[in-house]
This record gives sequence, structure tokens and C-alpha cells, in this order.
Amino acid sequence: MSAGAEHPILDPALAPPFPVAALPVLRNPQLRKNVAHAIEVIQTKRARLVAEKTDWQELRATAAAIREHALENLSAYLEQFEARCTAAGGKVHWAVDAAEARRIILELLREEKADEVIKIKTMTSAEIQLNPYLETAGVGTYETDLAEIILQLGEGEPSHIVVPALHVNRSQVREIFARRMGIENLSDDPKALTAAARNYLRQKFLAVPTAISGANFLIAETGAVAVVESEGNGRMCLTLPKTMITLAGIEKVLPRFADLEVMLQVLARSATGERMNPYTSLWTGVTPGDGPQKFHVVLLDNGRSSILKGKTERQTLRCIRCAACMNSCPVYRQTGGHAYGSVYPGPIGAILTPQLMHLRHAQSLPYASSLCGACYEVCPVKINIPEVLIELRAQVTDQERRTLGKFFDPMYLGMRAANLIFSRAWLFHAAQRMGRIGLRFFTRGDGWIHSLPSVGAKWTQTRGLRGLPRQTFHAWWAARRKEAR
Amino acid sequence: MSAVADSRRQVLDRIRAATRNSALTAEQAAGAYAQLAREYVRQGSLNAEGRLERMTERLREYDAEVVECAQEGLAAAIAAQLVASGRRRFVAPEGLPPEWLAGGFEWKIDRDLATSEVEQAEGVVTACFCGVAESGTIVLHHSAAEGRRVITLLPDWQLCVLRASQIVETLPEYFARCQQPPTLVTWISGPSATADIEMTRIKGVHGPRFLRVILVRDKS
Repeated sequence: MSAGAEHPILDPALAPPFPVAALPVLRNPQLRKNVAHAIEVIQTKRARLVAEKTDWQELRATAAAIREHALENLSAYLEQFEARCTAAGGKVHWAVDAAEARRIILELLREEKADEVIKIKTMTSAEIQLNPYLETAGVGTYETDLAEIILQLGEGEPSHIVVPALHVNRSQVREIFARRMGIENLSDDPKALTAAARNYLRQKFLAVPTAISGANFLIAETGAVAVVESEGNGRMCLTLPKTMITLAGIEKVLPRFADLEVMLQVLARSATGERMNPYTSLWTGVTPGDGPQKFHVVLLDNGRSSILKGKTERQTLRCIRCAACMNSCPVYRQTGGHAYGSVYPGPIGAILTPQLMHLRHAQSLPYASSLCGACYEVCPVKINIPEVLIELRAQVTDQERRTLGKFFDPMYLGMRAANLIFSRAWLFHAAQRMGRIGLRFFTRGDGWIHSLPSVGAKWTQTRGLRGLPRQTFHAWWAARRKEAR
Repeated sequence: MSAVADSRRQVLDRIRAATRNSALTAEQAAGAYAQLAREYVRQGSLNAEGRLERMTERLREYDAEVVECAQEGLAAAIAAQLVASGRRRFVAPEGLPPEWLAGGFEWKIDRDLATSEVEQAEGVVTACFCGVAESGTIVLHHSAAEGRRVITLLPDWQLCVLRASQIVETLPEYFARCQQPPTLVTWISGPSATADIEMTRIKGVHGPRFLRVILVRDKS
């Protein structure tokens, strides 16, 4: 967890490509064990609770339809949300990008003369890198979700969107807490570690008057905001402070309050394998005498509106952040979350991050998948992730081959050569003859090619290649006819 | 200020440009909304007794303690729970029926109590709006008898009175019971918990660690 070469970079603009970023994890057996264990537990619970729902597919269908409808009419529902939230005493702010959202939040904190802020886990704030920005501006940030405390105190990075510290095991947590909270003789029993976090935060909850949250859902009909959680740290932040600032992506809106009857059923089962998460809170603007008396919502675009355009790509924004896709993903299970170079890992990250970056960064992510489709099968809002991945691969390829640097890239040279050869029969036959001669030097006695030089090595690093047969079918057929004559 | 208005317009313009055939207002989208397929189970199949049993079973799965009583025995059942808790100082919402405030304990009635006073209470007694049997969920709408959010949050021990007539089987049935969308809701499904360390479920992080429910058989 120490900084340095091994420290994962989750800024898509700076992160190395997926195959490079995946290497440290693949070489770290402890990390792989931690990830595999956590995923195994969630998967088993999820499978059991989804199986008991006789109407699971119907719930998925409606959940998908509601989200798609909300996105199709997004501007109308956002304006309704804004009007209703404002009428209920909230204040709505709009942020075009991450920089503007950070600036708005800092200004609000300055108005409150806040030098400290308590936070409910929000991946959106990690997306806009809010904490480092606020710290630099002199505002201390205190994460209150247990996993987020582990990461904040241990200077680690999230590797999952629901259980962000699933790559950290109990003895590592013990070490972090003992060191940063100054507790001697701390046991590595999760119960003792949880109690340590409870004590550590209690005074913060009671003393810090300003809080920042994300939102699971915005309700257009009423202007309400819903937050789904387990520990009660969310309820603390939503209830005790004087001022509440909620940062929400523009796609989080649901048309009506009653839509939660579908969303809450699919979300908890998909995310943590529970029939319902311990606590869900919903509030509407400001309630006199109960909870924060000042309430702000910052609606964040940051690349989202550009994803709405294509019908295939638009599905991405249906996401309700349950993480079922990463839990089911054979790639994520091997690499963990840090390899994705973004706070959104796994299959959803592989489609969301490159699009949020307008494909200027994270171009390797659409390839971080075997296209097996497990993510689509479990997705509670039926995002056809493989379909979006393929669409993005096409876009990445189109973009790449137009750039000068890629013109002489061996892969694109090869593709252009193949295009030339495959469209002329005589060239094709000549190439076959030459290939057969050339590859003979690499073919071993067992008929397989185990190692190739240059670009060919990319294939043979991980699997063998069958040597070419001595004769093509074409040649055999021609020879046979000659004999018959 | 103009920069602010610009951002709003810019975001909305981008969305409208990307979703060309969309409704201009939520009212205009109402027709399309009404057409959305809803084939999932909205009405459960259990009878009253079945709902009560399911609710009890699911609450117990969350390690919540559940006792049943008849309408006449409610005050006594509350008193018995308070005694069994071994605690003395309790907080109660302003609208709690006076007969629920058992004698022999220190009661603080929440008329805008300071947070520090709520923090000092060892337990809380409230009513609730609804119980959802399928998920063992208790729903608070924070009415006068359910109390402000803070009083069911800070005390470590929570006693909730749930009437059989308030129990529905499925989540959609709860939503059907809401005549108007509520402005403040807390859905509670078991005591505060975390599984953030090696997926080991630990009860009681920040919310109450102990949840007790009294089920009142208020109709046969």
C-alpha cells in the first residue's frame, strides 16, 4: 500500500494501459487471494438471493426500461428534479466538468467557513478527485465508510465500487489502524477493527458541521435524493451536520418515487447479496428541525451527456453501480480493480471510463474482456456490456488507424498487408508458399510453433501456434485432379 | 452568476442535442412512462399469519430480537423489553403514546433535543410506518410517533413497535400504501452492519447495534 512504483494510478489520463497495469497484481499472490475470496463470498450470496426471486427477469426488464426511459427524457426529468428540490429548500448547481464541480464544492465549503468535512462513500467524488483538491485548499476530508477509511488512512486506492478495500486483508487493516489511529495491541479480528473505526469516527460525526455525499437515486417527481448503505455512517452524515452537499452524476435520476420499488429490490441483491441493505435514506430538500438545514446538490456532467448520443453506448448510463458485473467477470477476478486505471473498474469501468474520457484515454480498456457475457447476464438493468465493448473497440480502431504514429505500427502494417494479399488470389498463393517456407524454421518436432520473434511473440508468449501443414487443401485438390487425368 | 447559468444551459443543451426525440417536460413523458412493462410481482400471496411469520423470520435472520404481544399487552411488553435491556436512559419521539413510556426509567421526550442529549440516551422506543415481510424491512416516515431521524440513529439500542396490520409482504405493496410520496424515509433492514473486512459480517458500526421489534397482533 506504500506509494511509489507499485502505487496504482486511477487517473485514466495518467494510468498505464491495462495489460501493463495488470502485471503487479498478477505477480502478487496475496492480493489475488484477497480479491478471489471477497468475490467468491459476494457471488455465492448473490446467486442464492437472486434464485429465490421468481420474478427476477421481470424485475430486470422493468429496471432496464425505467432507466432507459429516464435517459431518453433526461433533460425533462433533470429540470423537474431541480424545480422540486428547489421548492423543498434545496439548491441545485450544475457542473459541466470535474473542475467546475470541485470549484463549486469548495466555494460552498468556504461560505460555510468549513475547514473539515465528513464524507459518505461516493465514487463520483473519487472520479473528480475531490479529496486531494480539498486537502490542497486546506479542507480536511474524513471518509466515514469503513472501506474508505482503510483506504484513506492506508493511502490506498479503491479497487471495487461497492467494497472498495476488498483487496486489503485483516492483518493489513490492523497494521494501518494501529499506525494511524495510534492504537497499541489492536487485534486483527474484524470485530475489533470495526469497533476501532466506530470510536475513531464518533467524535467527527458529532463535531463536523458539513458533509458531502453521493446519490444512488434522484427522484424527479419529488426532488428527493436516496442513499443506500449498510453501516449507518451515511445516516450520520445525512442527519447530524448543518450543511449537506450531494454530488450526483446527471444520469442518476429516476422519474418517480415508486420506481424505487424495483430499484431497491434489484440493487441490494446484486450488490451485496442481501434482500435489502441495512439502511436506505431518502430526503427531500430541507426538513425543518430534522437534519441539515442547508442542502446543495451538484449535478455533474463530466462527459456523461456525450454518452447519450448512440443508442448502444447510452446503455452505459443505466448503471446503478451494483458491481455485479465485476464480481462475475473472469478478467476482474484475476486482475482486481487497480489494473483498470480508473475508480470504475471491471466491465462497467471498461465501457464507462473510455467514454467519459471521450476515448482520448483508457483506449486499452475495451479490450480488457473476453466477451464471455457473464456481466450482461447478471446486470440488473440489462446493460449489454459485450455489445458496448465491441462498439468501443471499433471506435478505438477507427481512431487509431488515422493517427500517423500508428501508420507504421506492426499490427496496422500487417492488417494493410493482409488486406492487399487477401484481395488478390495470386498474391495469396505466393504468400502461402513463402509462409510455409518461413515458418518451417520455427516449427518444432511436435508440429507446433512455440516461439516467434517480434510481433509474433505476442501470440506465442501465452499459447502455441499449429505449424502450417505441408500442403494446402487447394494444392492437394489440384494434385489429385492431375493424377486422375 | 452568468457562468453558473451558462453551465446549466450547456449541460441541458448537450443532453437535448444527444436525445433528440425526447419529451420537453416530465408531463410530456408521462404517456411513455405509463407504457413501461411491469410484469414483476406487486402483490404477495401470504395471508396475515404468513406475513407475520415471514417478517419475524427475516428480522431474526438479521439478529433482531422479535417478541409478539396482543394489543392489550403492549405497554407491558414494552416495559419487559426495557427491563431486559439492562438500560435506564431512553429517548422517545414527541408523538409516542404516553402509555408506552414505562415507569421506572429515565425518559427524554424529543422536543428538539440537542444532539448531545440524544447521544447520552442508551436506547430509543418508536412506532413505524410499515414492515415489509419479504426483506424484514422496517420503514420509518419520521412522523410524530416515529421521531426525528437522529433519535433512531445515535442510541445503541432501538425498540420498534410494529402492528400486524402494518405488515405487507412485498416492497411494491409498501409503495402502494404511500398515498403521497413521503419526504423523509429510512428503510431499516436489520442492525447496522459491514462486511468491508474480508467480507466478514460485523454487526453494529455506527447505527444502533441492537434492534428489538414488538409485533402487535392488532387484528385476527
